[in-house]
Amino acid sequence: MNTQKPESLKKLPVAEGGINWIGFRTLTLREIYRFLSVYRQTVIPGLVTSALYIIIFGLTLQRRISAIDGVSYTIYILPGLIMMNVITNAYNNTSSSILQMKLLQQMQDLLITPMSSMEISFSFIIGGAVRGVINGLLVLLLGILIIDMPVVHPIQTLLFLILVSWGFSGAGLILGIFAESWDNIATMVNFFITPLIFLGGVFYSIDMLPAFWRNLSMINPIYYVINGLRYSILDIGGSTVHLSFAVAVLMTILFTVIGVVLFQKGTRIKQ
Amino acid sequence: MRSAKLESMIPAIDVRNLKKSYLPINRRAGGKTIALKGIDLTIKSGEFYGLLGPNGAGKTTTIGIITGLVRLDEGSVSVMGKDIISDYRFTRSKIGVSPQELTVDWFFTIERLLYFQAGYYGIRKEEVSDRIEQLLKKFGLYKKRNSKIRELSGGMKRRFQIVKALVHDPEILILDEPTAGIDVELRHMLWDYLRQLHKEGKTILLTTHYIDEAELLCERVGIINEGTIVVEGKPSELIQSLGKGSIEVYLSDCDPEKEALISGFSYVLEPYDGGSRLVFSVDEPEKSLSEIIKALSSNGCHIHEVKITKSSLEDVFISLTGRAIND
Repeated sequence: MNTQKPESLKKLPVAEGGINWIGFRTLTLREIYRFLSVYRQTVIPGLVTSALYIIIFGLTLQRRISAIDGVSYTIYILPGLIMMNVITNAYNNTSSSILQMKLLQQMQDLLITPMSSMEISFSFIIGGAVRGVINGLLVLLLGILIIDMPVVHPIQTLLFLILVSWGFSGAGLILGIFAESWDNIATMVNFFITPLIFLGGVFYSIDMLPAFWRNLSMINPIYYVINGLRYSILDIGGSTVHLSFAVAVLMTILFTVIGVVLFQKGTRIKQ
Repeated sequence: MRSAKLESMIPAIDVRNLKKSYLPINRRAGGKTIALKGIDLTIKSGEFYGLLGPNGAGKTTTIGIITGLVRLDEGSVSVMGKDIISDYRFTRSKIGVSPQELTVDWFFTIERLLYFQAGYYGIRKEEVSDRIEQLLKKFGLYKKRNSKIRELSGGMKRRFQIVKALVHDPEILILDEPTAGIDVELRHMLWDYLRQLHKEGKTILLTTHYIDEAELLCERVGIINEGTIVVEGKPSELIQSLGKGSIEVYLSDCDPEKEALISGFSYVLEPYDGGSRLVFSVDEPEKSLSEIIKALSSNGCHIHEVKITKSSLEDVFISLTGRAIND
């Protein structure tokens, strides 16, 4: 055995209190590297699925469906596809990372470090938000490149992507905290998130729906965020853009606060 | 100088009247499980302390509370003089933990995981790179630094766990069952590492199932059973005060029944193969041995064989808890 004593470290500044910025940065980067290291599962699939939608709808349905709000059908659905990718990726990243950490005993390792619950939860949220934004931007780029989609309000578009990614990453945090198995996460996605996304008007304008279904769609928050992005990219449906923005902000704040509070309380994480 | 002295008088870990109970998983079933019934525990700075107890005795709960993983119900815990709740950044940065369960990670190499670990403790990469390299070399993991945890052997995983606990250079090292389920050779290797870390001045808190391990390594041990510390002390003292030893002597050519020969000792006499077998029950076999031999040989007894049976911490444990540690 090598008996040389390893070099001692100087006093740890974190012991003195204050925000553990280095810890926060480290965990955030870990979360980002984590999904990037498996990009075939976390980045490519959304891009492929979106390309398939574009090709199938572009080649087949577009000829039969007239333009909606003055834009071709394929271009009309693209902001919806982007939002679908943003939401599912942001949300999946955080929920699965938390669950994985719980199942692999890594959460315990993290909870005994001098990081606050706030620092840990924000790191997870940002990790998921970055994945959401990257996925959203890639599908946006796909739209620009293959169907010549215009981006009318680029800054608003980016802002919206970040906001919604953050919000649904926060929702992922909440689910990750409650989830005890992969089944729990899949159930929430299959029976809750995916239906809400599809009914939120990814593939159609809710104006096409009968009154009853249209009114029902109005209580689906995802409808607003899709609408908001549609306005930011295509400049259509501008009348409700403020409402969309407000819903997105509210949802983001709500999910973030609930997620952070649950983490702080240690629900299903600490005994 | 004076302040350094004062500092060393502050206990590394000070646990006062610690109580904890768990709610049942199925709440309707009712009935809390009481894990700790009021533990007091003081571990001095630089001490090697062993917490012994059967499964479910409260070892892991105690460690969980000290490290911030489990919430306490009542009582208080301070680490190097500061409270674990109000000063958690301070107390946690002073402690390194090697948990009982081996951690798994699917994504990163072990070297990267060590950099992450240091980061969580607020240490920048450039400040810790030399230390990480030295630790990896010291624990024989340097060649494996670009492997993932699942590519390591069981022993390497355990060593990695200890390296991870040491990355931020903690004053206190807590090891929860570090040698559970590993082979004898590695156990001895780990013991050497731990002795060395102790020599370097680290305070070590060890929980174990293996009594010989505690007896061999720890300066003081506490035996915990059903949520309370039943007894605490130096292993040798515990054995002396609570255990019993025996000396067996096989004799011929004399009549050991002459009481005067061996007065002052209680013994059992049995005939044996043309001679006699005497079994003395003594507190400290080493000290009594010479007296017994002297008395016997000065009376012309021919001693064929002497067997000493020393009481072990295991006997102490059984006598206190009424069961063997691995029950």
